[in-house]
Amino acid sequence: MKAAKFEYEQAQSLQQIQDAYGSDPSALRLMGGSQSLGPMLNLRLVRPGRVLDVSAVPELRQVTAIKGHVRIGAAVTHAQIEDGIYELLRGHMMQKVAGRIAYRGVRNRGTLGGSLAHADPAADWVLTCVALGARINVRGTQGSRTVPMSEFMLAAYTTVLEAGEFIESVDVPEVSGSARWGYYKFTRKVGEFADASCACYFDPATRTARVVIGAMEGAPRSLPELAVKVAAQGAAVLEGDTIEAALQPYLAQRDEAHQVLFRTVVERSLKQALGVKG
Amino acid sequence: MAEISIQVNGRQQKHEAEPRTHLGDFIREKSRLTGTNLSCEHGVCGACTVLVDGRPVRSCITFAGACDGHEVTTVEGYDDDPIMSRLRTAFSEKHALQCGFCTPGMLATSRDIVLRLPDADEARVRIELSGNICRCTGYQGITAAILSVLQALRDQPDAQVDALRAAVVQNVQQDWNQNGFTTFDAVQEDVQAPAPVAAAAPAASGRADKGKGQAIQGGFDARFPADQVWAFMKDLPKVAGCLPGAMIESQEGATVQGKIAIKFGPMSAAFKGNAALEEDNERRAAVLRGEGVDSLSQSRARGDVSFQVNPDGPERSRVEVELVYSLQGPLAQFSRSGLVQDFVRRMIAEFGKNVNLRLEKPLAEGEEPVVAEFNPVKMFFSILWDRFKGLFRRA
Repeated sequence: MKAAKFEYEQAQSLQQIQDAYGSDPSALRLMGGSQSLGPMLNLRLVRPGRVLDVSAVPELRQVTAIKGHVRIGAAVTHAQIEDGIYELLRGHMMQKVAGRIAYRGVRNRGTLGGSLAHADPAADWVLTCVALGARINVRGTQGSRTVPMSEFMLAAYTTVLEAGEFIESVDVPEVSGSARWGYYKFTRKVGEFADASCACYFDPATRTARVVIGAMEGAPRSLPELAVKVAAQGAAVLEGDTIEAALQPYLAQRDEAHQVLFRTVVERSLKQALGVKG
Repeated sequence: MAEISIQVNGRQQKHEAEPRTHLGDFIREKSRLTGTNLSCEHGVCGACTVLVDGRPVRSCITFAGACDGHEVTTVEGYDDDPIMSRLRTAFSEKHALQCGFCTPGMLATSRDIVLRLPDADEARVRIELSGNICRCTGYQGITAAILSVLQALRDQPDAQVDALRAAVVQNVQQDWNQNGFTTFDAVQEDVQAPAPVAAAAPAASGRADKGKGQAIQGGFDARFPADQVWAFMKDLPKVAGCLPGAMIESQEGATVQGKIAIKFGPMSAAFKGNAALEEDNERRAAVLRGEGVDSLSQSRARGDVSFQVNPDGPERSRVEVELVYSLQGPLAQFSRSGLVQDFVRRMIAEFGKNVNLRLEKPLAEGEEPVVAEFNPVKMFFSILWDRFKGLFRRA
């Protein structure tokens, strides 16, 4: 299908985005690379009056170092992260994850901020950013605020962004020699949305441990108790039923196949971090 | 209408186009270059893949306006391309096309593989091709063609291809530093979990019901005796009026006409259709069968809501609800992995709240119910607030 009519504008600066929101924030949709919004527009599931393309705004395309973190502009594309265009992200967990998002044709246009704002429960960035303890820098007509990723997504396709607010950048921890991480997802076909996924991140230098599962009904779920056990026990955690027990509250109501999928993605993601083969 | 100027295959193309015109339509209908094929038009099949500034993109989900001032290369524009001339020959030799519909997109992606991944093996080629669907070849021929080009370039490097490859900046990390794990004492994070399902609805479970669609069970507690709740629940206009976002337009016997508006994140749909009620007074059970079409997205929905009222002591009752639904059309694209289950569960909770409310405060004769658009976000906060209050109640 073809999209319903909308007005289209390309923003050249942050100020222009804020000005565009000024008149009637509820009728305006921001567009990054249009890889999430495009299909919904074409299917007429979304019918905004005005679309503002922010993918060319220079301030949103920068990657800078900031006190132990890497600040990634919202309009940086998956392919740019995958290709290591920005030195600060080379060898980063983000680079590895980026290379497996959808397909190259999508990665060439899709943006980090766009994916997070779209908040698909099965999306890779939503899960990865929770595992990394990312901070989302939000700018709006009422000023700026920073939201931890663990609180950013509320439900399927629903975030804390208010009308008139947009994602300016995302802060993730800088590449750390001591950090270990894993990422594993099950997809029916390469590049499809995940049926079950798990990201984990451990860094003794900051005493950080996170295990997060995704592709559920809503926002990713963090398993803090399991994460601490993995940090303390290492590969021993894979024996016995520790993983099973940690997943129990989330999977009790699901069919068996789904339970197996989730158990497996958690195991495989942890094995990557633990350096265990298999 | 705005004037959009795109350089297509080296020639400047200036055309008036609507903002909603995607790049694929601009190429085919404004520039009259019909080699690019459009198929799914929502970014799934890869048939419409073209190069924008030398990189493959899906032209159906890229708007022409976003390409204003950029360069586009379509299947008609590869005459002098050193990689494409090799691929053309290889596609022909390896039987990499049958009907040819996917071929323009396949070639664009194949060229990108040869350019970026000189050392790709078969597994990698197949992964990279996964975004382009072919319904004839089974991909063997296409994979073989790409592998043969890669091998030929390894055996005998080509200066022109090397020059193209050198222009592609890539810093792919091979060693992900994943060896060895030192145990440590981590700080346990107190993660603020997103709100769970409303207390009014126990965890529902979804299962596929053969031939009928997905089934979701849930339920709610009513603060009234079973007979009173049952009397209410079989009153069709009343019960339909308790469905969030539902509006009854007319009734004939056991059938109502109306619509139900739902809002699902950024998406909204309004299903217009009818519903009929089948009662079983013995068991205090009924099935509400409904179907409707969302005129905006042309999605179709069918659903059977079965409910049974069971006494829970003399003054209270429990209403068990099961929804078996099937969705067709665009909205079905977004109904995967439990999303709809979560949505319906919340809807059942809201429905239960409305039933209780109506039993407490029946509508006066002729009074219209206030239809609130079903909005999961608002509900989410109410759930959060309930939990918050609950904390203090327990304390």
